[in-house]
Amino acid sequence: MKWSSFKYLVRQGIHSLGTHSMMTFASIGVLTVCLVLTGIAYLFSVNVDSLIDYLGSQNETVVYLSPDLNEEQTAAVDTAIRSISGVSGVEYVSKEDVLSTYKGYMSEQYADLWDAFDNDNPFKANYRVTVKELDDIQRISDELSAIEGVDSVSAPLAMSNVFVQVQDVVTYAGYGLVAVLAVVAVVVISNTIRITVFARRREINIMKYVGATNGFIRLPFFVEGMAAGLISAFIASVIVLGGYWVLTYYSDLVPGFWRSLLSESVVPVTDVWYKVVPAFAAFSVLMGGVGSLVSIRRHLDV
Amino acid sequence: MIVFDHVTKYYETSDGENLALDDMSLHIKKGEFVFVLGHSGAGKSTFLKMILREEVPTKGNVYVAGLDLVHMKKRDVPYLRRRMGVVFQDFRLIPTMTAYENVAFAMRVTNIPEEEIRVRVPYALSLVGLKEKADRLPEELSGGEQQRVALARAVVHSPKLIIADEPTGNIDPELSKEMMELLQAINNVGPTVVVVTHEHELVQEFDKRVITIEHGKIVSDTGSPEDAGQPGETAIPDGEEALL
Repeated sequence: MKWSSFKYLVRQGIHSLGTHSMMTFASIGVLTVCLVLTGIAYLFSVNVDSLIDYLGSQNETVVYLSPDLNEEQTAAVDTAIRSISGVSGVEYVSKEDVLSTYKGYMSEQYADLWDAFDNDNPFKANYRVTVKELDDIQRISDELSAIEGVDSVSAPLAMSNVFVQVQDVVTYAGYGLVAVLAVVAVVVISNTIRITVFARRREINIMKYVGATNGFIRLPFFVEGMAAGLISAFIASVIVLGGYWVLTYYSDLVPGFWRSLLSESVVPVTDVWYKVVPAFAAFSVLMGGVGSLVSIRRHLDV
Repeated sequence: MIVFDHVTKYYETSDGENLALDDMSLHIKKGEFVFVLGHSGAGKSTFLKMILREEVPTKGNVYVAGLDLVHMKKRDVPYLRRRMGVVFQDFRLIPTMTAYENVAFAMRVTNIPEEEIRVRVPYALSLVGLKEKADRLPEELSGGEQQRVALARAVVHSPKLIIADEPTGNIDPELSKEMMELLQAINNVGPTVVVVTHEHELVQEFDKRVITIEHGKIVSDTGSPEDAGQPGETAIPDGEEALL
């Protein structure tokens, strides 16, 4: 095919978007709605996942040190804890800190009762360790126990198991929802494209009679389908990411407990846009372009 | 130009087989003007579909411009159709394209350079008297004008064969004569013209070869007037040159 013919056919494809405005509107509308629904499902799933991650990370593993450790040995334990992979936070709590914490729990008139322990502190210095992934908590707990100078480890294993299971369910349900929506989108969009191509079967028929090759007929439809796909991807990105940005921006207005929870766990738009936009573009261009080619095939046999 | 060699065509239907062409043989020579006359259901459409290679015979062979249509590969069909120009009863113009674009389209499919399109399309439109309406959409033109645009599209790429399927079926009687005169004028400068029609009266107005089809068979062939009243030639000539 000559370059001039190629340019002409690409122009024809773009031009067709305008000349068949109602069909273009229907295709873009359907594609956009499908993308928006899929996008919302994805963002919901990502945020639930992040929320569970955040809640899980609040569960601390407490590493109690042997009472007779000197400063040097404590420093060695500190280094050993920090060197374990998967550890996200380490906080040292001396036995004096523990005592003063307990003193704080008592009302002032009984606080003196704790004074007896000032010279004979029964508590153990400890490290408060948080982990990045809850799945790793058993392994990290075992590694912590093996460090020399560690007396005992108290890890929230049962709790973390529940979180991991909930997170798995949410993740699979999220992927499942996105997959179901994507399949629905494929069916709805391919039907819409089939209807638009069917409405133009006469045009295709005429092209065949004047001696157009199948490639010559296909190219404008392919370009038109891809262009409609890109427009849909653009509109859907603006709606989904714009709407999401507004929601995250205004999450500060949510009252009390929920605000602190959301402000820590909401996935910022900067972390998702670069996944959402290319996915929308790839899916819609594929649906628009390939959908047109598949739908046109049956009308080419003249 | 066109040779039918004992062509039989059956269509599979729910009631069994339907015979559309029954052992049809004919030879239309290069530069001839031929009417193919027949009532509805006589086999005219199947005859046309054979020439356009939309259908292939159940038995027999069809040759157009020296090409064996039965053994032609599907991908070569567009190149066969570019050698001919077709005018349909229902015009078959692309509704979203102007008269100019409709005519130009027939040239664009053959990769003709844009400079040549810009010269030949206005010329073809002026031949059919529609140069002034080049930028009109089909819906803004009358039936007769649309048919003339279709004729301009059929001739713009200088084909050797023009097929007209009921070209006067959807236009006024006065315009019908005008259309036939245009086809005659085109035939006079070289191309073979085959007009398929059911209008007996129209055919009688012109002194041309008339092939009459009934029930898929040729029931009469007047032969070319130039052949001085000899019966129409249905024998198959030998050699590829005879096919051209």
